[in-house]
Amino acid sequence: MLNRRDFLKAGAGLALAAALPARAAAGTAHVVIIGGGVGGATAAKYLKLYNPALRVTVIEANRSYIRPYGSSEVLTGHASMDDLNVSYDALKSKYGVEFVFDTVVGFDPTKKQVRTAGRQSIAYDKLIVSPGISLQYQAIPGYSAAVAETRAPSGWIPGSQTALLTQQLKAMRPGGTFVIVAPPNPYRCPPGPYERAALVTEWMRKHNPSGKVLILDPKDSFVTDATMQLGWHRLYGYNIPNDYLSDMPAGVKNSGKPSPIEWVRAMDGGATEKIDARTLTVTTKQGAVKADVLNIIPPMKAGKLAFDMGLTDASGFCPVDRRSFESSVHHDVFVIGDASIADAMPKSGFSANNQAKITARAIVAQLAGRAPGEPVWENTCFALAGSDYGLFVADVFRLKDGKIARMPGERYLPLDASMTKIRLAAAYQQAWLKTFTEDCFA
Amino acid sequence: MSRVYLFAGLILAMNAAHAGHEAQPAPRTPSVADVRSTLAEMPRGDVQRGKQLNQSLMCASCHGDAGVAPTQNWASLAGQRAPYTYKSLLDYQRGGRHENPRATLMKVAVKGMSRQDMADVAAYYASLPAKAAPAPRLDAAAHASTDRLARRGDPARLLTPCASCHGAAGQGGINETPALAGQSVGSFVRTMQDYREGRRVTDANQGMRQFAERLTMEEIRELAAYYASMGKN
Amino acid sequence: MGTLMKYLVLAFAALAITFNPAHAAEPTGEAMAATCAACHGTHGKLGTVEYMPLAGMAETEFVRAMQDFRSGKRLSTLMGHVANGFSDNEIRAMAKYFATIK
Repeated sequence: MLNRRDFLKAGAGLALAAALPARAAAGTAHVVIIGGGVGGATAAKYLKLYNPALRVTVIEANRSYIRPYGSSEVLTGHASMDDLNVSYDALKSKYGVEFVFDTVVGFDPTKKQVRTAGRQSIAYDKLIVSPGISLQYQAIPGYSAAVAETRAPSGWIPGSQTALLTQQLKAMRPGGTFVIVAPPNPYRCPPGPYERAALVTEWMRKHNPSGKVLILDPKDSFVTDATMQLGWHRLYGYNIPNDYLSDMPAGVKNSGKPSPIEWVRAMDGGATEKIDARTLTVTTKQGAVKADVLNIIPPMKAGKLAFDMGLTDASGFCPVDRRSFESSVHHDVFVIGDASIADAMPKSGFSANNQAKITARAIVAQLAGRAPGEPVWENTCFALAGSDYGLFVADVFRLKDGKIARMPGERYLPLDASMTKIRLAAAYQQAWLKTFTEDCFA
Repeated sequence: MSRVYLFAGLILAMNAAHAGHEAQPAPRTPSVADVRSTLAEMPRGDVQRGKQLNQSLMCASCHGDAGVAPTQNWASLAGQRAPYTYKSLLDYQRGGRHENPRATLMKVAVKGMSRQDMADVAAYYASLPAKAAPAPRLDAAAHASTDRLARRGDPARLLTPCASCHGAAGQGGINETPALAGQSVGSFVRTMQDYREGRRVTDANQGMRQFAERLTMEEIRELAAYYASMGKN
Repeated sequence: MGTLMKYLVLAFAALAITFNPAHAAEPTGEAMAATCAACHGTHGKLGTVEYMPLAGMAETEFVRAMQDFRSGKRLSTLMGHVANGFSDNEIRAMAKYFATIK
């Protein structure tokens, strides 16, 4: 692996003769996008929609995309790994987006070029970097990428670890404990760890009725926490902590009986200090917990590429001009999606999709010599407390004093929502998986 | 060890049985007698209770507080005959309706509804006056030909008049035959297409398909405009 | 401080109170509409799915739907929350945009 200095040198050392020209024809600007996830794909599509004359190239390591949103449904058999696979064909054939299946190993912001492992030099007029997140396995003593691949999968970036976790759940001994180590903020898909806990609990009721799900959390709260816990309570007899109980609708009462799902917060000693991969033991302040299946969702930072390209700050994410998501470090480079610092916007696919569109508009405007228009973003995170029990957080965001602020008002499913509304939210969540994928990739 | 494997195997097998998406039951087309016996068991509806359910079950979100759909995406139900609404709700609950993904929302909405709930909601819509829906204006010639088709049919194509079952004023007829007056154009056209292309098959003996497939799309659109403009303004 | 100065300060203070920075500049109808696309389809175009297709929707229908969602007059799962983030003017601009999409 190259360190950052090598990385920049590798970019600077480009032979000009080998470089693809930035402008294939006079007046045709070349926008290069690194990363074909939700952010990159949406940016590519919308750039072509906003200005079909642009040349748009996506550099992506994989031939197809494996979507992370909805991927916990693989654990319960509601979706297969194949269902997660998203093709790039429509972006190519319908919109004329070019793809280079390769990884970026060098970057020269002065010459405005990137270099790939396959020794291609690609020049850009504007560069969008959408590298997603990197999982900080090493942040938890005893954990590593190798452990995640073999013993204690994270399954947070879907792939082989998702499949391994699915196998482990199915093979878990009757009455075993499925431990989820939740991540600290900020991380991708804020309701995701808790939705996963719910779906696994639901699955176990059918297939391993004496099994348990235990969430160990370094936080005291999470987005949608009240509505999610109400769902757990109704569906699985979860005991709601006292500080949440007072807000619950009348008639919600804890049984006090042991529940198949339990959430241990930081204030109750939920933060993980270390793990033992061999024995699947998690050590917290409260002592050691022996897991039968151990699912660790480690702390996250911007995707590695963002570090290599020097786009991150001390927070481990990328500072940007919020109006356009142009990097605060390099001119003509834009960072979107989970890797960017977007204030009130969560690290979600929906956010990345909306950021990509605003950035695409800003780039088209810049190239035409216009100022970018007023931005607006939305985010909706749907989550399931059970396959028939939906909830969400929904926000509109605006630029305020140079930062992204959410518009005031209700954002969650109300705690007194009817079962009809709750079931409808689940139906919309399922529909969203389709319409969202289409908006990004087709 | 072997017991562990055996158990793991069992779990896998059980999971395989549950894997994948929920299987859709094959839609079953009822006979006239089936429909009759369904309707014979329809409880007496309570309009006031139906009005409350229209809100609490979120029907009103798409079908309107007073049964007038706020958008073309959904059916208007003001003035709809109770047996039709009741039967439709039952069809959704029994899993017979999945002509398009919108039906998913209805299947969700009817989950947990009792027959009494269905009859009450049906009674509420039936108690409301049908309102004319926004529709493209038919020119005199188109209006005349559509009116002829609706009231006289077309013997050359063995098309009986719509009015013979749905009423001269689109008010509906006997049994489950729905009212058409004031129906939103979008909903009317979509419904006819679903009959025509065999996606909606829960009407008695698939009777509507025979009509829908003999009509051109142009005629269907004109009929939609014709019936939408009936009802009070 | 002179009277005129006092008057000006007061006038500015009044402006500052009524001036909502979020709406200092409005996004275009098209830019706002793009935020809907993640559920309602690119340009509001959908095949038949659970979500309401917005392309070609009559302006009056769109405006009424959004205003009624916002006020709570029309029940919704989450559209009330979303509509709450947009002004009347902005809703009209979105409506104009969607009405032009065929």
